[in-house]
Amino acid sequence: MSQATAKKNGVWATIWEYMTTVDHKKIAILYLIAGGFFFVLGGIEAMLIRIQLAVPNNDFLSAGLFNEVITMHGTTMIFLAAMPLLFAFMNATVPLQIGARDVAFPFLNSLGVWLFIFGGIFLNLSWFLGGAPDAGWTSYASLSIASPGHGVDFYALGLQVSGAGTLISGINFVTTIITMRAPGMTYMRMPLMTWTTLVAGVLIVFAFPPLTVGLFLLIFDRMFGSNFFIVEAGGNTIIWEHLFWIFGHPEVYILILPAFGIFSEIFSTFARKRLFGYSAMVFATVLIGFFGFMVWAHHMFTVGLGPTANAIFALATMAIAVPTGIKIFNWIFTIWGGSIEFTTPMLYALAFIPSFVMGGVTGIMQAVAPADYQYHDSYFIVAHFHYVIVGGVVFALLAGLHYYWPLMFATMLSEKLGKITFWLFFIGFHMTFLIQHFLGLWGMPRRVFTYLDGQGYNAANMISSLGAGLMALGVIVLVINIIITVAKNQKVGRDPWGDGRTLEWSLPLPVPYYNFAQIPLVRGLDAFWIEKKEGNGEMLPAESLDDFHMPNNSIIPFVMSLGLFVASFGALYFASGKEWAIDAVADLPVRPWAFWVLVIGLAITFISMITRSFKDDLGYYVTKEEVLRDLEEQERGAK
Amino acid sequence: MAELEAKSMTDTQLRNLRRQRTKEMRLQLTGFSFMIFLTFMAFGMVALDFNATFIMGIVMLFAFIQVVLQFYYFMHMKDKGHEFAKLFMVVGMFFAIAFCVTFIYIVWIGQPI
Amino acid sequence: MAEMKYNVPNEQWPEHPETATLEGKNKFVGFWTFLGGETVLFASLFATYLALKDSVPSSDHMLAADLFHLELAFVMTMLLLTSSLTSVYAVYHMRNNNFSKMQLWLAITVLLGAGFLALEIYEFYEYVHLGHTFRSSAFGSAFYILIGTHGFHVIIGLIWITGLIIRNATRGLSVYTAAKVNTAALYWHFIDVVWVFIFTIVYLLGVI
Repeated sequence: MSQATAKKNGVWATIWEYMTTVDHKKIAILYLIAGGFFFVLGGIEAMLIRIQLAVPNNDFLSAGLFNEVITMHGTTMIFLAAMPLLFAFMNATVPLQIGARDVAFPFLNSLGVWLFIFGGIFLNLSWFLGGAPDAGWTSYASLSIASPGHGVDFYALGLQVSGAGTLISGINFVTTIITMRAPGMTYMRMPLMTWTTLVAGVLIVFAFPPLTVGLFLLIFDRMFGSNFFIVEAGGNTIIWEHLFWIFGHPEVYILILPAFGIFSEIFSTFARKRLFGYSAMVFATVLIGFFGFMVWAHHMFTVGLGPTANAIFALATMAIAVPTGIKIFNWIFTIWGGSIEFTTPMLYALAFIPSFVMGGVTGIMQAVAPADYQYHDSYFIVAHFHYVIVGGVVFALLAGLHYYWPLMFATMLSEKLGKITFWLFFIGFHMTFLIQHFLGLWGMPRRVFTYLDGQGYNAANMISSLGAGLMALGVIVLVINIIITVAKNQKVGRDPWGDGRTLEWSLPLPVPYYNFAQIPLVRGLDAFWIEKKEGNGEMLPAESLDDFHMPNNSIIPFVMSLGLFVASFGALYFASGKEWAIDAVADLPVRPWAFWVLVIGLAITFISMITRSFKDDLGYYVTKEEVLRDLEEQERGAK
Repeated sequence: MAELEAKSMTDTQLRNLRRQRTKEMRLQLTGFSFMIFLTFMAFGMVALDFNATFIMGIVMLFAFIQVVLQFYYFMHMKDKGHEFAKLFMVVGMFFAIAFCVTFIYIVWIGQPI
Repeated sequence: MAEMKYNVPNEQWPEHPETATLEGKNKFVGFWTFLGGETVLFASLFATYLALKDSVPSSDHMLAADLFHLELAFVMTMLLLTSSLTSVYAVYHMRNNNFSKMQLWLAITVLLGAGFLALEIYEFYEYVHLGHTFRSSAFGSAFYILIGTHGFHVIIGLIWITGLIIRNATRGLSVYTAAKVNTAALYWHFIDVVWVFIFTIVYLLGVI
């Protein structure tokens, strides 16, 4: 079925295949392309910020535009770049690592990616439709209610749509890992990437609903006339801060845990050693996940919650350093005495340890509530979270891109260009953000669009902007690297790094669409490594070669997401010019069609759901003959 | 759709299984009457205007008992294979209590604690 | 295209038809995971309600103690609790491979749920007449979003179960449809769980 479509070839057939695909490997590529696009977009916004701040009294960006750019930079990077790129690697690796033919809900997997893409496009359309959101990525309620125009509406609706996609993907990964593991793959034999995906999935399930509620309150206040944050009518803006950070803090762990997973894989592969303290690593992952929920109010120390509340949240925050420290030491012990190979992914992994530790230590400094009053809202905070997110997550994404590229595309990125990217990015990163700690301590506040001459900020800001330029150069080299690799299209065979330890490297490249001809039998941690050392380098099959079942492609997820995209426009313009609307949109022209657009959009989604529900979607069978043919072809290719 | 292994049951097995299910259904009915009883008690106590703090505690306790019954009997959580279901619900409830406590005490209503 | 066996003889009907296939197991685990998320969703709404309860712009707005009628809440509770029991009966008959009785009990569940929904709409209608609306105060907004989200879940549940009754009427019972019925029943029970907290926290603790 999907075979037949793919064989038609031609651009439109390929596009249609990707629009309807339910194959986790193709969905991974969709995530990678869309996430990569938004990453570049967020990067351009970052460059605009640094150009504006390079010299004092600069008028490159106006104050209002600067607010829009910083808001969109933060929102894009967190929601539309970092998380989808992590999903790309999770989709590409997790089903292969646990020995499954697909995820638990292939249909929902496709729905998740399309919701994210449509949500991201909707959010970015704000640039062309009257101005982007300008209330910061945290969008604190008093500010976001006052923000004139539709900018914040784009933020609330866009995140609502893409957030729904994230929640769906989270549920999907949790279920996949619980139910779809191959025989012998017990919980304590799962690779760390799978473990961190499981914990991150659980965090998504518990963290995204509060964001959904918070965004709904904002949507209702701004577009439907309710009073949650309207203080004159009895509203309370602290509710937004709580809801946002109940989501926002676990979000940090949703990003960093899979990053830890990627690095754990890279460390043990290129140190050619079993991961040190595997069970401690698993325990630390779970503990970080749980503590991550109990610390959200440390973002709100200066709100005035009171000394008892601050003390409780300060203590919980400091406690997180313990499991994180366990992880850092375990990685160091993994490298210790290993036979290290300095590939590009390994360079990122080695650079990650000191960079991330610096971000972590400044985090502990801020956990001390009284000290936080000093750091709060200064460039010190900016430096801190960029050390954690760039030094942790972005390094992991770049490392993962090089490491998993052969698995996803069956070609290798150039190591030479990869190392150039690494050094440019690594030096640029520290140049940009190390100095910002000092800027913060010298008193430069966050979120200001310019500063005066003669305050002692000039040189430091210039260094920071030059560093950002180096990072941009690094990304440009990476893009060139990708273009050259795709153009050359030099295929590699199984286990291209030569030291693959986990199940995904036991597969032929490119991976067949059904992943495993026979579901493998797992005999221990690092299943493929065990077979290399103790067996003949082939996974033992856990089942006889037979017909097996695969899911059908479907266009419905695309249509469902499109419906919500359309409905969002209706909701967005609903309050324009209405007499009950908040001041921010009360003076805009009335849009009488808004209500009908909302209804039509929701109807499209609803009808596609009903269609889906009334059809028996039973999938199709891959026959034994086809698999045997593929296996023969692989053997010929190997010779 | 992975097909079933066509495992046929004998008549005795089938009869035992049916009997077991009927017994369970009786248990469900007992649970249901207990839930109705708790609801009556809760509404009754509020209607009769007992001491407010006392009622608050008791009524919340009744709600939790009722929900546990609903989970364990109606949603079959007492059966095998519900370990993850239990974990998710316990964690969810824990967060629910944490959210409610913080939203009552630290949202600038009254004195900061 | 794969085949699905409908109306299998009793001896071949598995002990737990809803989780007899891998797809059924996935649905079961995935749906419980989703319910974990729903718990936190409603927790956020409850917390918002508790923070904004009786928070009105001026003294001429009605407060919780003036508004709520225990009689109505009691009848609504009874309807929803009973509908939860009837869906247990539906699952019982599904496990016993008795298709027509399963359909009947599902239909009764829908009727009771619809009764609950009608009373809720009547209640909202009455409050709106008393000047307690979504836009009148923060208390109003928080009340309607909490009860309204629950009511929305009831509507979705009704459409879901009705849809299942219709789509399965021409098909009969298989391990494929059994998993669908079981998932819908779990959802319906969860709606009842949320209502238990709503009648306790909003209505009972609202009037004392």
